[in-house]
Amino acid sequence: MAASHRLRVIRRRLLQAVPVLVLATFVVFGLLKLMPGDIAITLAGENATEQRIAEIRALYGLDRPFLVQYGSWLANAVQGDLSKSLATGEKVATSIARAFPNTLLIVVLAMSVALAIGVPLGMLAASRPDGARDRIVTSVASLGIAVPNFWLAMLLVAWLALGTGWFPATGAKPLAEGLGPALHHAILPALALAAGGVAEVSRQLRSSLVEILSSPPVRTLRAKGLSPAAILWKHGLKNAGVNLLTVTTLLFNRLLAATVVVEAVFAIPGMGNLIVNAALTRDLPVVQGVVFVMVLVVITINLTADLLYTVLDPRIK
Amino acid sequence: MVNRFFAFLRRDLRAAVSLAFLLALCVLALCAPLIAPYPVTAQDVDNTLAAPSAAHLLGTDDLGRDVFSRMVHGGAATLYASSLAVGIGLLLGLPVGLLAGYSGGWLDDGISRFIDALLSFPSIVLAIAVTGALGIGLTNGMIAVGIVFSPQIARLVRARALVVRQELYVDAARCFGASTARILWRHVLPNTVQPVIVQVTLLLAAALLAEASLSFLGLGIQPPQPSWGSMLARAYQNMELAPEQMYAPGLAILLTALAFNTLGESLRVALDPTTKR
Amino acid sequence: MSDATDLHDAPLPAVGLSRRHLMALAGAMGLPGLASAQGTPAKGGVLKVSASANPSSLDPATGGAGSDHTFLWTMFDTLVEWDYETLKAKPGMAAFNFPDPRTLVLDIKPGITFHDGTPMDAAAVKFNLDRGRTDQRSNIKADLQNVAEVVVTGPLQATIKLARPDTALPAILSDRAGMMVSPKAVQALGQEHDRKPVGAGPWKFVSWSANEKVVVTRADKYWRADRGFVDGIEFSIIPELATGLRAVVAGQNDFAYNVPPRLMPLIDKAKNLTKVTGPTLYCLQLYFNTAKKGLDNLKVRQAINFALDRPGFVKASLAGVGEPAYMQLPKTHWAYDPTLVGLYPHNIEKAKALLAEAGYKDGIELTVGSYTDQDSVRRSEIVGEQLRKAGIRLKFITGTIPEISGQMFGNEKKFDMLLSAWTGRPDPSMTYSLMYSKDAYFNAGRTDHGAKMAELLAESRVAERIEGRKLIFWQLQRLIMEQALVAPLAFQYELVAAGQQVKGYKPNLLGKPKYEFISKA
Repeated sequence: MAASHRLRVIRRRLLQAVPVLVLATFVVFGLLKLMPGDIAITLAGENATEQRIAEIRALYGLDRPFLVQYGSWLANAVQGDLSKSLATGEKVATSIARAFPNTLLIVVLAMSVALAIGVPLGMLAASRPDGARDRIVTSVASLGIAVPNFWLAMLLVAWLALGTGWFPATGAKPLAEGLGPALHHAILPALALAAGGVAEVSRQLRSSLVEILSSPPVRTLRAKGLSPAAILWKHGLKNAGVNLLTVTTLLFNRLLAATVVVEAVFAIPGMGNLIVNAALTRDLPVVQGVVFVMVLVVITINLTADLLYTVLDPRIK
Repeated sequence: MVNRFFAFLRRDLRAAVSLAFLLALCVLALCAPLIAPYPVTAQDVDNTLAAPSAAHLLGTDDLGRDVFSRMVHGGAATLYASSLAVGIGLLLGLPVGLLAGYSGGWLDDGISRFIDALLSFPSIVLAIAVTGALGIGLTNGMIAVGIVFSPQIARLVRARALVVRQELYVDAARCFGASTARILWRHVLPNTVQPVIVQVTLLLAAALLAEASLSFLGLGIQPPQPSWGSMLARAYQNMELAPEQMYAPGLAILLTALAFNTLGESLRVALDPTTKR
Repeated sequence: MSDATDLHDAPLPAVGLSRRHLMALAGAMGLPGLASAQGTPAKGGVLKVSASANPSSLDPATGGAGSDHTFLWTMFDTLVEWDYETLKAKPGMAAFNFPDPRTLVLDIKPGITFHDGTPMDAAAVKFNLDRGRTDQRSNIKADLQNVAEVVVTGPLQATIKLARPDTALPAILSDRAGMMVSPKAVQALGQEHDRKPVGAGPWKFVSWSANEKVVVTRADKYWRADRGFVDGIEFSIIPELATGLRAVVAGQNDFAYNVPPRLMPLIDKAKNLTKVTGPTLYCLQLYFNTAKKGLDNLKVRQAINFALDRPGFVKASLAGVGEPAYMQLPKTHWAYDPTLVGLYPHNIEKAKALLAEAGYKDGIELTVGSYTDQDSVRRSEIVGEQLRKAGIRLKFITGTIPEISGQMFGNEKKFDMLLSAWTGRPDPSMTYSLMYSKDAYFNAGRTDHGAKMAELLAESRVAERIEGRKLIFWQLQRLIMEQALVAPLAFQYELVAAGQQVKGYKPNLLGKPKYEFISKA
């Protein structure tokens, strides 16, 4: 039965996820511990003395053996306690709960733009392969992939924010304060991210559509007199759905990682900002917490995609 | 071989142009000390943020240094950075991928889990952690990027190795007592070359962008040496005062990445005859 | 106590005007926004500030960053305050006096309550000072090290008994150690008090989203009618300084401090902004590890001081919004010594000669730690170029602040020098003991600078009258500069950009903004 099969898939994936989670957080923890400098010096502040620094290390357990520190973090994490930031004292879960929606809004917006523009472009290019339109779209796509997204962000800020004042140059507004202001702040960053996405989507869709459209079943349909448009819509897209799903999943994961630099340009308090600051100040609990959450998100996305595959294409198991 | 290569170039104009561009860039980079009219650190505090002129082809930056000279030297640094990152990625990813794909079983499982873990969390954190452990600098930053790339290469190579492993001639070689290492070297590796070459050109572009991002965050090249990414970071600082400072380095990165990508795409099509264009 | 002489009328070389003249000129040039209105300004409005750093903690005793004070002063009044222009100590929540060198008596003003309604009295003062001295999370133990005991000698009188004389104590009580928190709140909240502070200042705490926002609102009952006019303050935390300014230019915020001077043209260009500058104690300097080879040689250190072009640095790095630093105190400070100005004029030949005498006739290579933010990078490039001309080749190693400072002052001792800044302390004796006592953390080489240094450091805490202390500081500074134990570069002036609706802001010499006189029209 399809349902129980899906349940099995879910369970197997979740089981596979556990070692990945542990490994990822362990690797990060290990690397951060290898880095010179620790947060005790920052915490001791302006009137630091050797004695005070040692005191702080003892206070926060920073001088315990490596495995003990990791073990105790892991034990808490699986119970849902992501502990507190060493630098600010705020609960890591609270910081993440505040930062994640900001990042998610931009990523979702960027993906929507990428799909909204990329899909029609891909279809346009595939409708007449090697034609003028195809070449233009392919060139635009190459440009989109090659452009550094933080440069694009800078250009957008310079042209659309600083000069004209149409959009805010910095910051993010939480959704709680209203969809309008939140979107207004998120548009420019999303556009900066979307460029690469548009390129990927249009390119992948084009190539898979071209493959489908020249396949024997479709050629038969053409011979029977069906218009190219109808074929594109009914048969092309549905079959390309699987490929599109793959692209979307990969895109989501890539965008999640790419927001870091864009968040820096726009001073957005999102996940990227959170983890970069924490890594730079050696605020281990925050880094661990963010890595944990991001890996969970990626695993969930992949799992959802796998389940959607089975819906879209019954041949796939 | 050489004839085929030139035939390929003649057929694909875009690939030819890209290659020419990249070669010109390499020459520029290698001859940087000869071409750059000023030393990269020569400051002229009375002439900051100047517009392009005969004395300064691309104007001056916020400390009065010649932008053109910094662009040329920066190009050298950037190309070095890309090559290093991809080199490290290959060095780490190739053997791991080969081993995983060829061995199968629990070794493959273990390695694949590890690769999944590395792929699933934000690469920038890995880069920060590695540069933190090794120290900030262009070389260390690119080693970090190389480590980030290695799972992708490993995955690609593993997939090919899995296929090749089934081939009859490999079985035959095994029967004849060839060691694993020899089989990997003589039979499996050559068959992974084509997709790897394509991936390498694409990764060169990605490394370029990664270097720019790291330098933008202050984690790449050390001052006062220039790289295109660090020049962009400086331009961001001065965005209101002199927005035109961001065009030169940004365009340079864009065009170079574009050239790598175009070359890669063309190679992919040329090397794999079954790909429908 | 007789006051210091009129040092604050001494001319400022960067601008050629005395500070009094500067402020008057600001008015005449049509920068009316920041002059106070006649009489008491109207209350109202919420001030939106672009803040440059996240607080390390909102509890004064457990935090450590110099950037915290601007947040802390909104919620915590201090026992002792200072004159904005010279930093001379004067009564705050308490009047203070020394009946004898080992006793400091605090007479607390009546009618002050904490934001939770509990009284600010002698018992509260004792609680706070004991906490500062003994709590395991207290970062201010070193400040109060000379305090032996705090005794409640009256409902509004606390007497501090000192183990050793410490005339720096009133100034110390104008800083973290003097910020009084509500004992009841600390006892109830424990560690959470870091994030939910309760003080007795003009505003009370509302919320703190880490790395995003700190919000305070008018306290229900504040003891002074002539301070605290805005209804509330919202700090948006924007570490990227250019971005913080951008938010003010765009009208999203009203006030940005710590604006890098090279961005001043932007403030001028934006027609709806006013700017305020003023000297501060923020001293950009090269810290030396005097135990390392090369820097252990006096001539090398002197060569570095001669090779630096301080006025050139002010021009290149600070766009003229600053003053050259010839010692670790700026011109307007009450302990400034004008005779030290000519000690190290910019002289490349002399620098090269000294290096040759020290055995480095082909120059010397030194490693310097520095930070990754763009302004630090810029400074390192300027200094590197200046010193290169004298044959001093600098190799910069950048990293983040915790990393690099840890490597300089901690056990690794990785660099010869550190290019950074000293944010300044309310009392100069704090600066000198934190940098030059033998076991001080910021004495990177842990070098013993000799009996004379130790003697002067001790005396600076003993001498009572300000005239006497001034002379001791003059001797200290001369010793430090003649031994070239540091290479001060320049004092960065405070640069504030504010919207025109913001009135009444007064910069202070400590360089950490206070908002008590601001009103928003």
